[in-house]
Amino acid sequence: MAGKIIFKGESDLPLSPVSSGDMCWNRTGTWRYIRPKYEDKTPPCGTACPAGVDIVGFIGLLGEGKYEEAWNLIREENPFPGVCGRVCFHPCESHCNRADYDESLAINALERFVADRALDSKPRPPIRRTKKERIAVVGSGPSGLSCAYHLARMGYQTTVFEALPWAGGILRVGIPSYRLPKDILDKEIADIQAYGVEIKTKARLGEDLSFEDLGKYTAIFLATGAHVSRKLNIPGEDLKGVVSGLDFLRDINLGKKVQIRGRVAVIGGGNTAVDAARAVLRLGGSPLILYRRSRDEMPAFDEEVAGTLEEGIEIRYLTGPIAVIGHKGRVTKLECIKMELGGEDETGRKRPVPVPHSNFTTEVDTVIVAIGEEPDLTFLPEDIPVENKMVSTDNAARTSRKDVFAGGDVAHIHRTVAHAIGFGKRAAISIDCLIRKRDVNSLLQEIRVGENGTLSVAKYLSEMARRRSHHVVTFEELNVAYFEHGERNERATLAVPERVRDLREISTGLTEQQALKEAERCFSCGVCNECEVCYVFCPDLSIIIDGGTVKYRINYDYCKGCGICIAECPRNALSVEKEAR
Amino acid sequence: MKRVLSGNKAVAYGVMLSRVQVISAYPITPQTTIVEELSRFCAEGELEAKFIKVESEHSAMASIIASSLTGSRSFTATSSQGLALMHEMLHWAAGGRLPLVMVNVNRALGPGWNIWMDQSDSLSQRDTGWIQLYCEDNQEVLDTIIQAFKIAERVYLPVMVVLDAFFLSHTSEIVEIPHREEVDRFLPRFEPEYRVHPKKPQAYFGMVSPDYFMEFRYKMQRGMEETVEVARSVDEEFGRQFGRTYGIVEPYRCEDADVVMVTSGTVTSTSRVVIDRLWEDGIKVGLLKVKMFRPFPMEEIKRVLKGVEKVGVIDRNISFGHGGIFAQEIRSTFCNEDKRPMVFGFVMGLGGRDVTPETIEEAIHVTLENSRPKEETHWIGLKG
Amino acid sequence: MDPGHLACSGCGSPLGLRLALKALGEKTMVVIPASCASIIVGPFPYSALKVPIVHVAFETAACSASGIRASLDMQGDEETTVVAWAGDGGTFDIGIQALSGAAERNDDFIYICSDNEAYMNTGIQRSSATPYLAWTTTTPIGNLKERPKKDIMAIMAGHHIPYAATACVAYPEDFIRKLKKAKDMKGTRFIHLLSPCPPGWRIASDETIKVARLAVETKVFPLYEIEHGEIYILTYQPRGTPVKEYLSQQGRFRQLTDEQMTTIQENVDREWNRLMGQCEGAARRGVSRLAQ
Repeated sequence: MAGKIIFKGESDLPLSPVSSGDMCWNRTGTWRYIRPKYEDKTPPCGTACPAGVDIVGFIGLLGEGKYEEAWNLIREENPFPGVCGRVCFHPCESHCNRADYDESLAINALERFVADRALDSKPRPPIRRTKKERIAVVGSGPSGLSCAYHLARMGYQTTVFEALPWAGGILRVGIPSYRLPKDILDKEIADIQAYGVEIKTKARLGEDLSFEDLGKYTAIFLATGAHVSRKLNIPGEDLKGVVSGLDFLRDINLGKKVQIRGRVAVIGGGNTAVDAARAVLRLGGSPLILYRRSRDEMPAFDEEVAGTLEEGIEIRYLTGPIAVIGHKGRVTKLECIKMELGGEDETGRKRPVPVPHSNFTTEVDTVIVAIGEEPDLTFLPEDIPVENKMVSTDNAARTSRKDVFAGGDVAHIHRTVAHAIGFGKRAAISIDCLIRKRDVNSLLQEIRVGENGTLSVAKYLSEMARRRSHHVVTFEELNVAYFEHGERNERATLAVPERVRDLREISTGLTEQQALKEAERCFSCGVCNECEVCYVFCPDLSIIIDGGTVKYRINYDYCKGCGICIAECPRNALSVEKEAR
Repeated sequence: MKRVLSGNKAVAYGVMLSRVQVISAYPITPQTTIVEELSRFCAEGELEAKFIKVESEHSAMASIIASSLTGSRSFTATSSQGLALMHEMLHWAAGGRLPLVMVNVNRALGPGWNIWMDQSDSLSQRDTGWIQLYCEDNQEVLDTIIQAFKIAERVYLPVMVVLDAFFLSHTSEIVEIPHREEVDRFLPRFEPEYRVHPKKPQAYFGMVSPDYFMEFRYKMQRGMEETVEVARSVDEEFGRQFGRTYGIVEPYRCEDADVVMVTSGTVTSTSRVVIDRLWEDGIKVGLLKVKMFRPFPMEEIKRVLKGVEKVGVIDRNISFGHGGIFAQEIRSTFCNEDKRPMVFGFVMGLGGRDVTPETIEEAIHVTLENSRPKEETHWIGLKG
Repeated sequence: MDPGHLACSGCGSPLGLRLALKALGEKTMVVIPASCASIIVGPFPYSALKVPIVHVAFETAACSASGIRASLDMQGDEETTVVAWAGDGGTFDIGIQALSGAAERNDDFIYICSDNEAYMNTGIQRSSATPYLAWTTTTPIGNLKERPKKDIMAIMAGHHIPYAATACVAYPEDFIRKLKKAKDMKGTRFIHLLSPCPPGWRIASDETIKVARLAVETKVFPLYEIEHGEIYILTYQPRGTPVKEYLSQQGRFRQLTDEQMTTIQENVDREWNRLMGQCEGAARRGVSRLAQ
């Protein structure tokens, strides 16, 4: 690169004005008064995910055909992509910016695709135990296993105590196999164990071991879930043929032979009720769901309800049971009353009010009660406070005892698998902070995904991962000129007659072609995916593609600060700052 | 090989023998037969050249500037209005230091349309940096073109070879056409170092600030100053090879002359006849033919006219508001000398008005009979 | 092309130049007449381009390119592409004579008109490429340009040159494809490239691409090709966004009334229909397309 050229006199000069150097000496960077910079931001899907998965990241890798790398990226936060890709309620999709353009991205289906591709993959070699502390986790559901997994990755020896003979918690005994085949669950639990997590089954806290037994562990994480069915508290509830939804599903999931015949009334409007009704159908029964509020208040996931209706199962809204009627100790009829919606209750939903003189009876062979679950806290020492029938915790998963943590359904009202995984992570981070004497509160804001999202283990463990700013990118902040409209690629589901024959999985997932096409629809909001638009449109050749860790950088020697890169970046991965003078 | 050729045809032969590679021209009377003849040469394979039939003289000059810069020997021809249209590009060609040769057939500028002999067109361009060579006969025209390329390619300044409209362009004379191989020996292939080359990423003729512009102009002036010597030596070399020389000025019977007339172009031929007759009558008048007008050969002229009392300059042109241009140049040549001749300026023959021996004699007599000029410019041959 | 060049912040021209050189490669010589480009590439003794440049007088882009080509042909050079890179002034106005002459002779070079719709280098004076009702310093408010933009593509089509095309800096792949197609042909090839000028169009420096894109999407500047003056091919189907969106982005149209904008929309629609007619006409006549 030549510098400035000076001629001393006419004898130095060429014959006529002929150039002999380039313009590189002219550092046009001095023209700037604003300065662009590459700044990845948080996509709305990322901040919405209760498990804190780097969604934009894994979809990007998927789009490049790097399925195993995508799988590993998800597992930096969530060890259950195969599970979540089937059962998650995908709030990511509800927040997806693409919905403002045509249709939201089928993120859940993509997560499942990645996990299914990885069925033959092995997790990376287990990390050697680098820390001397040992942690106890009580409960091998999604929350407990997530916590154990992350602690193991941080180098701790973790032991998980599970009351039942099989690990998995609600994933094993709550969710039926037409939604979550058990071999998928087994594989993902085995992957967690490969990190050195020890699972001791048939170890119920309060029976097989006591709280004091756990004293030899440096910390304890309580993740026992909510497996106690609420009672209706109506006459006849103890008759034969009245079962709780949880018990019913557990029996089916554990392979017991369950006899179901005839009419089955399922009371409730949550996922358990819906799961139970659909299981009944598959076992040859004739289910009828009775829910005391209307469709809008049903807490079950929309997709599950849609599936239920597709399968021809009747849901009677605004109906509540008042008595179970039996004969010779067995249920024969159910007396119900119609409801109407009154004012709001403590959950913010409209209160169901019985309509006088609207009683009716219906013949039933079985009644399944699925009106909610509560944690069993009988094992809990008295000094640990309880609030709203759950273990009371702060936002760092801590109880009143500094070495006792809790999370998942036992401690929170947001009871989804994704939330449970997120809370398990939170506890792992909090436990690590306790042991290493770090102030967890000071870190919480920094390691969130976006302003209000959950925590990210990747951010906790590495500075590099914290590069993304907390600003969540909105649709208006994108430049959609670069995107063609395209329909959402939906995963195939079996036809109804096919589906209900038995408990086979009802969705077959996306094909590879569909997955790749769907991945292309991702805007990659806020996160640079090396599309080269900035590079193509820079008039000053000031964008350099290096190939290092930070692949794109701006040559500030020449950048004039025109701002075209910022304006044209389809995904708002560049930001502006004032030039310091 | 001797042939009877018009001036324009002689031009064509000169160009053909010089192995010009790119020609770009636009027709204008009285240049048209030059381009027609060159077209024929190209079509018949006698001349291997690209002939761009441009849509104006301005484009003609612009395109040969570009082709010359790209390393091809290039040529154009024009006259009067066409030359005037090229004016912008004439500056460009000289400033670009390009070894172009252009033939200008001296013709009057309008309005009123006048297609006949007048020197005002070429002389109006005297400040552009072009070398200007004026020819007296068709042999000189052919020879000068060949010499012009050699001079241009040494000093890197363009050369304008000038001939009279109709008196030379359309008048046939006997011309010796040199052999190709002879010309090849005299004028080698054009393979310049100074050229834009596809493999060298340089920019030519970009913006020049006040910091360097003056120095470029100084270099051009130095080039012009060197041209006098270069032209002389080329002419001598030509003489050695072909047996004909012309000099940059040619004194004719100036020894012992009290008065010398200064002429250019075909007026010179007519003047020779008049001079001879006057000498027979005992009147000692000399003749100085000026061939090279730019650079103006001041030293040569001072040497030839040393001791001459009076000089009569014949101009077939006028610079309005001042006078005949050759006269001005002669006057300024002597301006700082201790001994200066009286300079009588004569304007005649504009727009093709015939310059006869009588006209010339009248001018001579005015010079002889007056100790000093009565007016700055004497108009000879004016009606009424 | 190297950085450090002198284009204004956000200028479309160096972008166009860079893309053009990328498409045409190293074996290219560029002729630049008086224009923004002649300043952008840097003064003596520097050059920001990595290919040879000949700076020429304002009106001589086309004939200079002809001269260079003639010279290279005499030297037996069959590889080097000669490109003229002129502005709208040097193409539509003062340079049109030379361009017409060269096109009529079908002289062998690629001529790219980088059109920013006014004499921007000398400070935003109107040219015949300035659009109807646009503000410039010589068509100020009270005396806006009453005449429509000259249809240079129709003029070039009238010369029956092998290839003419429009292009836009916001559609780089389209521009590059057209250049590569042109490179494989011989004869006069003309590309009319729309390149916004932030100071002249009164837009912010980061809006260049957005405004250029709108020009195409609103059909104000359709992207098409004309082969041999006869075969019209549309190369991009625009969305048909209302012209108002394009006009309201630019300060040089700030003074327009709704009525004027309606008139402009009508003009655009009429011209578009005419272009569509020409495209369909070619297809109907069964005139075959050149190999791509």
